[in-house]
Amino acid sequence: MGNSERRLRAEFHGSLVILALVAALPLVLTSVYWQGVVIVSLYYALQAMGWNLVTGYTGQMNLAPAAFAMVGAYGVGLLSHHWGISPWLGVPVGVAAAAGIGLVLGRIVLPLQGAYVALTTLSFAEILRLVIGNSYSVTRGDLGLNVPTVFDGRLPYYYLMLAVVVLVQIALYALMRSRMGLFLQAVRDDEVAAASRGVSIVWWKTLAFVVSSAICGLAGTLYAPFAGLISPELGLILNTGLVVSMVVIGGMGTMIGPIVGALLVYTAGEMLREVGDYHLIVFALLVIVFARFFRGGIWGLLQLGADRLPGRRETGAREG
Amino acid sequence: MLYLDLTVTGLMTGVFYALMAIGLTLIFGILRVVNFAHGEFYMVGAYTYTLLSTALGVPVWLTLPAAVLVGAALGWVTERTLMRPLYAGYSSWGLMKDEYAIIVTFGLSLLLINLVDKVIGPYPYRGPELIDTARVHLGPVIADGHRLMATGLGVAVIAGVFAFMRFTVAGKQVQAVAQNRLGASLAGIDPGRVSAAVFAASGGLAAFAGGLLAPIINASPDVGVFTAVKSYVVVVLGGMGSVAGAVVAGLFLGVAESFGAVFISYGYRDTFGLVILILVLMFRPQGLFGEKGRSV
Repeated sequence: MGNSERRLRAEFHGSLVILALVAALPLVLTSVYWQGVVIVSLYYALQAMGWNLVTGYTGQMNLAPAAFAMVGAYGVGLLSHHWGISPWLGVPVGVAAAAGIGLVLGRIVLPLQGAYVALTTLSFAEILRLVIGNSYSVTRGDLGLNVPTVFDGRLPYYYLMLAVVVLVQIALYALMRSRMGLFLQAVRDDEVAAASRGVSIVWWKTLAFVVSSAICGLAGTLYAPFAGLISPELGLILNTGLVVSMVVIGGMGTMIGPIVGALLVYTAGEMLREVGDYHLIVFALLVIVFARFFRGGIWGLLQLGADRLPGRRETGAREG
Repeated sequence: MLYLDLTVTGLMTGVFYALMAIGLTLIFGILRVVNFAHGEFYMVGAYTYTLLSTALGVPVWLTLPAAVLVGAALGWVTERTLMRPLYAGYSSWGLMKDEYAIIVTFGLSLLLINLVDKVIGPYPYRGPELIDTARVHLGPVIADGHRLMATGLGVAVIAGVFAFMRFTVAGKQVQAVAQNRLGASLAGIDPGRVSAAVFAASGGLAAFAGGLLAPIINASPDVGVFTAVKSYVVVVLGGMGSVAGAVVAGLFLGVAESFGAVFISYGYRDTFGLVILILVLMFRPQGLFGEKGRSV
């Protein structure tokens, strides 16, 4: 087993341990409010995992994860608002809509390199939000749409969201272990070299972009019935900022970074909110500091620490 | 008459798109990165102009240069602290250059938006006008006095940028670094200093646009987000790195929006930029004036 495969497995197992802890959390965390906070962090974790696939692993700077979540949520919301269709049926429609838009956008922009992807996705996200906000007759504009709930109480949502995060994580692990994972990282590390070795880079980039959009869309479809109300604010650039900060703080291009980052950043944000609304300033600063000085994020720092501990090197090498 | 009116209004908006886009395109030319905090430099300019004038009562003819200075200082600090790793001895980062620059400037954008939101507040501020004259008749076209003055200043500054790039040694140094960083440094030009100066100029230009538009845009913390999106469209349309392209594309977008708002839909006028962006990416990704990029 190669070194990178070992690392991937360690990250994956680590993420499962953390998700198991989250599963046990309601035993001690009985506050409905804080259970809601964890549900929303899992919603962000899904987006962060999707974003990490296309940006962390494939190197394509997508600045629209929140917009794709908004697409998913509106898929559910519009079906139920106009035709009274159950949110359960809205989920596949929302995911397909996000994946479809991802495919079209990806086909246009992914043949280009560098900053073009970031520019286009950011413009797309802002303008889609504007269109939804202005199309009052279809979407009720900034008033938002009411979405019927599907469960009574918080815990069913909690475990549904958690189960989906676990399933997506398993799927992503399988994907990253396959040849596709290698292709994606080859594209990220050097497009020219990858192309010269026969990797069809545009095809792999587009595939990663579509899968990532679908995961973000899925997050939105699950969030809609939980929140009960969706509005164009879901697609705010600030929410994309949150997703980016979660992955950068947790560790970009790792299996575990997005999950750790989302749980830490969102719950820390809620705690900081009680002392004053400064959490967004803190996270923005952390993004800059991490990107500038600790590129591996928290996970990278932990690995660095583990490597420096005497006697831990051998176990570290075996496990990760 | 309507066509003339729409063209003039569109060109007057386009001047500000051009001002914003010139800064972005200059940075792209020098460092091959896009500054995602560019809209926030504009926002800071609008706030500096407005708050100095209204809260401290400083005359507008002093607060406008002050806004430019604050924007330039912000640009300079950004370059020195966050952009230096792109070229100063972090060669192993070469492959992650785009990602780093985007994430770090995007983080800076979020930081500035939230700082202003917390320190000054989320409420919009309206800046004072440069002159009192409400309406000016220019032959058949009627224009708002402040808007006319602001547009005039904008045109003068754009002309100044062209003259600077063309006729001064410093301007030629900027072009040299944009063409070949290593070659320029062999010829005795310090690319680091040029990068810092260009970032400062870019921040100053964005803040200048923000200050000039302060009475019109009602500055709020996120006022720069959409303006930045428009500048990206303009820079891609004009060709990344081309100053002339940025000006032509800026004026074009202004006119296109002004006509589209009347003939297509007012509510969706801000979406025309995206349509243009998508069309450019599909059919002419190098933009109107850009060089064809490397392709794999």
